[in-house]
Amino acid sequence: MKILKHTSNFLLVIFLLSLFSIGYSNENKLNDYFKTIRCLVCEGQSIHESDTEFAINLKEQIKIKTNSGMSIKEINQELVEIYGEQISFNPSKNHFLLWVMPLILVLVIFIFIRNKLKFFYKK
Amino acid sequence: MKKNLFLPFIGLFILAICAFYYFNQAPSQKLEAKQVPAVLFESKDFYMNELIDTQNLGDFYIINFFASWCKPCLAEHPLLMELQSKGIKIIGVNFRDDEDNFIDWIEENGNPFEYIIRDDGSIAYEMGLIGVPETYFINNKIIQKKIQGPLFYEDIETYL
Repeated sequence: MKILKHTSNFLLVIFLLSLFSIGYSNENKLNDYFKTIRCLVCEGQSIHESDTEFAINLKEQIKIKTNSGMSIKEINQELVEIYGEQISFNPSKNHFLLWVMPLILVLVIFIFIRNKLKFFYKK
Repeated sequence: MKKNLFLPFIGLFILAICAFYYFNQAPSQKLEAKQVPAVLFESKDFYMNELIDTQNLGDFYIINFFASWCKPCLAEHPLLMELQSKGIKIIGVNFRDDEDNFIDWIEENGNPFEYIIRDDGSIAYEMGLIGVPETYFINNKIIQKKIQGPLFYEDIETYL
């Protein structure tokens, strides 16, 4: 009988610990997500670090939405729809031109200099 | 030498691609042309405890976010009073404020609002508010213009 009592206590502790760890990991996940959202009042900071009313409200609203069953991906989509891509430190869209433009410019400058040098050496 | 003549054209071509890309952005990125979120019309007016009557509002109206703790809101308040005196309807959204402070603030400074809605932050989130004060000019339920920060006379003179 004693063994049964100890076992049930042990299982209860394990159950409570697992509940706590689930809560803790969810909280951690949310905090990690907050670090990817830009505070639009103080743009260098994420809402995780910022204490502005905007950041506090956004954190609250995101928590409410996750508690109501929305996934972080869905919330992120909604945030981008409302505030634009600037809200995220990890823009989702493929900014092909943004990445390729410096390469194109370097190539153009390289061709220009090469042609100039050719002209100079021919002289 | 002939090759060098092409370089400006290459530059222009690249610029044209950029311009095309910029002007063909998805409508979701053009934040001002979006609809007023439904959550605003599902909220009740603080004093009358009734939903906003959209027919009474008409096509053109203003939504102003304010709070009693916000000093710039006080600075723009006389302009809102002037707008109201010219018959322009304003929905005031009281953002994350203490109820007593808000009531005192309205009593002290006057009420330029047709409807006042107290917001815990959910309306602000849906509207894309960044900070108070913030004013939205609405026409046919579409946000035509958004002004962050206090209103100045130049912002509203066309409506007076």
